[in-house]
Amino acid sequence: MTSIRDTDRWRISRDRVLLYVRALNLPPYKGLDLAVESLKRTGPSSAAESMESLRALLKEHGLDRGVLDSEGKHLASVPPLNRSVMVPEELDRVPWRTSFVQFLRRWKNDLFGKGCAR
Amino acid sequence: MTAFELDWSRSAGRRRLLLIFLVLAPTFIACGTMASILPSRGGSPLEIVLLAVFAVLFAWISVGFWTALMGFFLLLQRRNRYSVSNVCEGLGYSIDDPQARTAVLIPIYNEDVKRVFAGLKTVYDSLAATGSLDRFDFFVLSDTTDPDVWVQEEEGWHRFCTEQDAFGRVFYRKRRSNAKRKSGNVADFCRRWGKNYRYMIVFDADSIMAGRTMVRMVQMMEARPDIGILQTPPAGVNRETLLARAQQFANRVYGPMFAAGLHFWQLGDAQYWGHNAIIRVEPFIRHCELPRLPGKGPLGGDILSHDFVESALMRRAGYGVWLAYDLDGSYEETPPTLLDELKRDRRWCQGNLQHLRLIFSRGFFPAHRALFLNGILSYGSALLWLAFLLISSAQAVAEVYLEPVYFPDTKTLFPQWPVWRPHWALALLGSTAVLLFLPKFFSYALALLRDPAARLYGGRLRLACGILLEVALSTLLAPVRMLHHSVFILSTVMGRNVGWPTQSRDDRGTPWADAADVHWWGTTLGILWGALVYLTNPSFFRWISPIIISLALSIPLSVLTSRASLGKAFRRAGLFTTPEETEPPLELRELAKTLQEEAPYSPLPLSPRQGFLRAVTDPCVHALHTSLLLRYKKGAPAREEARQALVEKALLSGPDSLSAKEKMALLNDPFHLAELHRRVWELEDEKQAARWGLSQPPVD
Repeated sequence: MTSIRDTDRWRISRDRVLLYVRALNLPPYKGLDLAVESLKRTGPSSAAESMESLRALLKEHGLDRGVLDSEGKHLASVPPLNRSVMVPEELDRVPWRTSFVQFLRRWKNDLFGKGCAR
Repeated sequence: MTAFELDWSRSAGRRRLLLIFLVLAPTFIACGTMASILPSRGGSPLEIVLLAVFAVLFAWISVGFWTALMGFFLLLQRRNRYSVSNVCEGLGYSIDDPQARTAVLIPIYNEDVKRVFAGLKTVYDSLAATGSLDRFDFFVLSDTTDPDVWVQEEEGWHRFCTEQDAFGRVFYRKRRSNAKRKSGNVADFCRRWGKNYRYMIVFDADSIMAGRTMVRMVQMMEARPDIGILQTPPAGVNRETLLARAQQFANRVYGPMFAAGLHFWQLGDAQYWGHNAIIRVEPFIRHCELPRLPGKGPLGGDILSHDFVESALMRRAGYGVWLAYDLDGSYEETPPTLLDELKRDRRWCQGNLQHLRLIFSRGFFPAHRALFLNGILSYGSALLWLAFLLISSAQAVAEVYLEPVYFPDTKTLFPQWPVWRPHWALALLGSTAVLLFLPKFFSYALALLRDPAARLYGGRLRLACGILLEVALSTLLAPVRMLHHSVFILSTVMGRNVGWPTQSRDDRGTPWADAADVHWWGTTLGILWGALVYLTNPSFFRWISPIIISLALSIPLSVLTSRASLGKAFRRAGLFTTPEETEPPLELRELAKTLQEEAPYSPLPLSPRQGFLRAVTDPCVHALHTSLLLRYKKGAPAREEARQALVEKALLSGPDSLSAKEKMALLNDPFHLAELHRRVWELEDEKQAARWGLSQPPVD
């Protein structure tokens, strides 16, 4: 004989399992069948036990594999990678300074030779 | 360089020389007049500064005037030999080359997901109607940082692909790092999939484009391999607040003329505005990656206004950047309120000021240096106007307290009397007003020349009233914008950085408290300024009163212009009517219809906006989210422990106990998210379960 408390727990388990199969977006009969089956398997039990039983059933029916595409493959939201590189081009923001430095370097090379510039 | 390129670049050179002359000559004359109005005829240091500021401002508004005038004449011509759309004459809406594939990029950042996918559906259907859908792929590129919005985006993408059978054509990518913001988001796409496409059309989150327009853009790029970026001029649509409707109206009435004028001066050296444009991918990948600017602070780091720089880089690489000013079917949404506009301007201001550091970069074309300068002056002019007005006020106050110098140091036969020439001042004011307002008249004339009844604008009288009201409204708001833009510049220069705030794109309106919070100091400044001038020099007060009144009324102005009810009242009166409101294009009708659709049924009492809760609780959303997390690897033990602690915390204290960062951490971890999902469904305690949307909380 089950106590009132056990009955309440079982009701909570029933509601939880039913809510889960409703949220799963399965065909109506299929979802209800699974819920009934899982509750039958566990009998009066906690929500945790009922949910565990339901998950096992979903696995048996192949309904726990996540979202698959039309070919039954793992769903991807992006196409396969086709990588390339983007390198920032040199942005000489002070060209007069660069020109001046280059001029000095050239001048130094002309006067003292390349070895000295190094 | 082809003969055509040589031709247009020579034409552009000649036209720009003409512009320089047209701007400098009147500025020189106006400065002379201004100097003669001033008490010391421009001789005192204060007056020299005043004249210098005046010269820059007069030249600045002259550019706008001549751009409008040239646009007016260009639109009167039946054919423009430099128009890019010439190449589409006689073409249908098909793209011959199957290799000419285009990616449509929709970069998003914490946006209204329903609006994003409604927009996508509109564009997708519109392209399908042209028969060229198979040449396009779509990428929703998310930089979202809000966990609820992230999950909503995934749901939105999955629902869209399921309903439209668009898997393999419409893609969704969530970026973990927001490096370089929007430009980084687009660059990330280019690095991963750019090689698959010849072109990309870049959208904003609120962009809408007609399918035929997109096909035309591809056809133009195919026919003109010299073009790197082709920009369309988007029309402002869909907003209902008074401010936004006035801007939509202005954009629609004056916009085409200004766009044509810009095309006249720029030709192949045009700007890229960051969205509603098509880009040739290969040169973009090779030449347009943006460097980080050295140094810290607002002018260093990532380039915020990336679009200007990308167009300059593209041009530097030898490709043209063109504005397809005569291409319609391109839309965007304007900021609904003054506060939203100012928030956006704060970011743009910092971005444009960064261009100060790029203006002399080697290899950029002079036209793009001028465009950098133009962008800087868009905000810099506000500070100059403020300086001009303050110096004028200081001069007026000084006149009262300082005795005039009748006998200067140099010996003269007669005393030098300060002379006030009001008719010259009025002439100067009149000429400035002509520069500012005559383009509005040109727009009116242009609208009537195209349709004498101006039916699409609600009739001739309403169009005229709309223009007058828009002028009045923009005149009222100009001082408020000037003051805020000046502060933006000063705060940027002083080193205050701007974040990346989400843009508001709905018509909620501005509460009084928010407006007071932003405008109180402007109001106070206006009242104090007005009182000082009125008490010392009442005759000058009359000249400056429009500025003072506007600043003093900035709080009610901000609130009232943000009201959708007022915008709708104007609409009922037929004012600020645009062609898109009178005869909405199919795309905008479809968008409105899609936005009316209800959210799909869910047995769980969770709102679609509760994305994180749905990813934890709803088994379908949970499965989708974990499926889309690619190649997750378990982290270091310390990180795994931290994640486990988050799971325990969530179970014990409920979802509200988690911060956004903690929610993001769980959403990025499919294993711990799955554990949370499992244990939430196993919760015995009804109160705890109710926090996750599993049951109603029991009544105590």
